[in-house]
Amino acid sequence: MVNAQTVVRGIKNGLSVTWELGKVMVPIYFVITFLKYTPVLPWIARQFAPVMQLMGLPGEASLALVFGFVMNIYASIGVIASLDMTVRQVTIIASVLLICHSLPVETAISKKTGVRVMPLLALRLGLGLIVGILLNLVI
Amino acid sequence: MPVLEILKEAALGSASSIKSIMVIVIPFMVFVEIIKDLNLLDRASGAMAPILRVLGISKGGAIPLMAGLVFGLSYGAGLIIQAAREGRMTPRDLTLVNVFLVICHSLFEDTLIFVALGAVGWIIVVVRLVLAIVITYALARYLTIREKQAGPVQTAGSLPSN
Repeated sequence: MVNAQTVVRGIKNGLSVTWELGKVMVPIYFVITFLKYTPVLPWIARQFAPVMQLMGLPGEASLALVFGFVMNIYASIGVIASLDMTVRQVTIIASVLLICHSLPVETAISKKTGVRVMPLLALRLGLGLIVGILLNLVI
Repeated sequence: MPVLEILKEAALGSASSIKSIMVIVIPFMVFVEIIKDLNLLDRASGAMAPILRVLGISKGGAIPLMAGLVFGLSYGAGLIIQAAREGRMTPRDLTLVNVFLVICHSLFEDTLIFVALGAVGWIIVVVRLVLAIVITYALARYLTIREKQAGPVQTAGSLPSN
């Protein structure tokens, strides 16, 4: 039954998601903003630019992908929010990341359900990158 | 650029991102709780069951799939484990639901967070849904063909004992 409790629970869950997100996102946002004014971020960007170009993304966004793959999407949001990315770029990187993220944690979850996880892992990584490249050609 | 300026940029920027995410996520979580309390998911799973049969997933797999799709992978996995323990899901269901859900889970919440950052939501949703459906369908077909091929071999193997 829907009552005031329902709404209160929803607000609590929303605040808890925001808190979990903020805890991860804000420190990363600060670090990336600092790195932008050092030679470090431009150097990383140059190394990854050729690969990222295939997906129509700036080299800096490689950090968002790596953080998203190994940590979670909140970490990659810290990177994406601190960079000036276009609507098109955010849409592409969001599609890649939503297919492929939190790999260590989510693979452990899949494993608990009793399936072989290596094929799933390969599927997510491969599919994520293919989607990025295809979206860059299509939109 | 002085350190103070950079700190200010980071503080203002991250605060404004969090604000735009909150404005979307909190109403959505209220909406999710309403769906749960109205048991809409169970009803939707019932309605989806015939469609999921096309993907080769039996009725027992429908609820975990819908739950994972809307509420996220860990929620879906919890229901998968429960359904498998109670024998409501075959090994084939397990594989297919897992493949679908790793490609496409927490469809609305995660998408909305990126929409708050400026992404075009419908493109992300369509891409993930279409990929999950196509790949699950292809895998289901492949498993069916393999089962058929494996069938005669098992019969042949059991012949000498007869």
